[in-house]
Amino acid sequence: MVLDFFRSGTSQIEEVETRLVTMLRDGRRVFDTSVAAVFGGGKSREAKSTVKSIDREINENQREVRRALMMSASVRGTADLPLILAYMSVVKDVERVGDYAKNIYDLAKYGVDFTTAADRDELEAYRDAVAKLLDEAAEVFAERNTERAHELVTKADRFLSEYNRRVKETTMSEGPVLDAVGRALYFRYLKRITAHVMNLMTSLFLPVDQLDHYDEDPDDRL
Amino acid sequence: MSRAQTAGSRMAGLPAPLRALVVVTLLYLFLGGVKLLETGIKGLGSDFTDGLFEGVTNPLAGLFVGVLATVLVQSSSVTTATIVGLVAGDVLSVSTAVPMIMGANIGTTVTNTIVSLTHLRRGEEFRRAFAAATMHDFFNVIAVAVLLPIEIVTGVLSGTAQSVASFIAGGQELGGSFNSPIKGAVAWLADQIEAIVLVPLLPNDRAIAVGAIILGISLIFVTLAYITKNMRILVADRIERSLNAALGRSGLIGMVVGTLVTISVQSSSITTSILIPLVASGILLVRNAYPVTLGANIGTTITALLAALGAGAIDGLTIAVTHTLFNIAGILLIYPWPATRFIPVAVAERLADVALERRQLAIGYVAVAFIVLPLVGVILL
Repeated sequence: MVLDFFRSGTSQIEEVETRLVTMLRDGRRVFDTSVAAVFGGGKSREAKSTVKSIDREINENQREVRRALMMSASVRGTADLPLILAYMSVVKDVERVGDYAKNIYDLAKYGVDFTTAADRDELEAYRDAVAKLLDEAAEVFAERNTERAHELVTKADRFLSEYNRRVKETTMSEGPVLDAVGRALYFRYLKRITAHVMNLMTSLFLPVDQLDHYDEDPDDRL
Repeated sequence: MSRAQTAGSRMAGLPAPLRALVVVTLLYLFLGGVKLLETGIKGLGSDFTDGLFEGVTNPLAGLFVGVLATVLVQSSSVTTATIVGLVAGDVLSVSTAVPMIMGANIGTTVTNTIVSLTHLRRGEEFRRAFAAATMHDFFNVIAVAVLLPIEIVTGVLSGTAQSVASFIAGGQELGGSFNSPIKGAVAWLADQIEAIVLVPLLPNDRAIAVGAIILGISLIFVTLAYITKNMRILVADRIERSLNAALGRSGLIGMVVGTLVTISVQSSSITTSILIPLVASGILLVRNAYPVTLGANIGTTITALLAALGAGAIDGLTIAVTHTLFNIAGILLIYPWPATRFIPVAVAERLADVALERRQLAIGYVAVAFIVLPLVGVILL
């Protein structure tokens, strides 16, 4: 404990960065478990317990990140202020990825099941795209690679338009209510996850005051 | 982060080895400043200096001078290093300087109390911050209230310090001097500054002596400020890690961490001011911050000890050791006993409750305790 003072090691900010990547990867785990439930498994005690325990880990990591940022701000004063404010904003986005992934599990809980859906392949393709996006985002953030972050934001932006189109299409469909609601929410949650990943990525190249606007209409963005 | 943010936070500033070199250089200049102060005082002659501090032979007046001087420069390290220089230069006697050193301890707590006022607009946050800041005030006031009378009557602190100083200096008595590798190097620097800067510019010995005093105090002030600033950057990672490790652990660990952090940044105000936002935000409890604050009291005495080693006078070393002993004695007096341990915290929390209801009281407290009362004391005594 006291000897920590004499040891060299990582800074609080570096620990925050590592935790954010861990949270994002945990978010991917929740997503995998949740989509597995709507694509065949349905609700199960094991899946429920997995989703809950990972979500608790994500929430605890969020609190740890905030504590570490507070410690860093107290010790370093204004030296790392932009970084601290950006991470304080970003940690909420990463936590929300887990939350929306958990909401997909709730769909299975309420009886949404895409196992026999006629367009199952298409629905799975959307699932795979988000899973890949989460993996890439974790990788890009860990490397703090601004060039790849730009590419990922452009790619994710296309997804947003697609999800919007699908939500609109589903709400106007005349199929069974449970199927329509299930699909609309599924696309809505995929859109939210994508938007939060975009916010995380934009924090690698945008100033603090311009964060959090990438889930809005392109015309309303700064 | 954006490129600008990354550049601003990580790339700005010097590489660590270069910054460490800057700190060593500043430390050398700081010691040179203390030596210059001592040289300047001696240059004025005893007929001038003997009457200079006649007014503060009253211990309470000395105490208030210590508080006021520290509030003014916002650093007990500057005050104590200057006092060491004055004692080494025979302007102040050890017995006159002891209350001043104690006053510096009280005065230094004004910084974190002011920091706590920045939370005024957010009730609960302010209550926690104000309690964390004022517990340091109350601890130091209680320690002075008990130890100053004991010191005046028995001279136990300065007597013990004299024995320690004499032991360090190989048996020299008060009024004597001792050699250390630091002293030789520092004396050379002071001589060079005097020969290159002061002698060509100033007309006579008295002007040179006054110039040496002004330059000495300026060097102490400026170098300490920059040492603190650079060390804070250099050891920020270590401070974060050790404070994290100390959170919620035993009081002794907190004290050691507080001491180490303060030694490394050469400022108790920095250590205690770091704690205020942590307590305000609820991450750290007032009671967990308390031992770290007490450790800061011990750590801050390193500056006067360094100054004394540079000055090379037994009297200077005695007052520096007295400062250390006073802070250790204060902790031993209050902290080990469950009945007294949390008195300063309890009083501070009570004051914070009252201040939360009437926030002008908090500002009034700072003004009265740190400015009005010491000022009136100095004028009347």
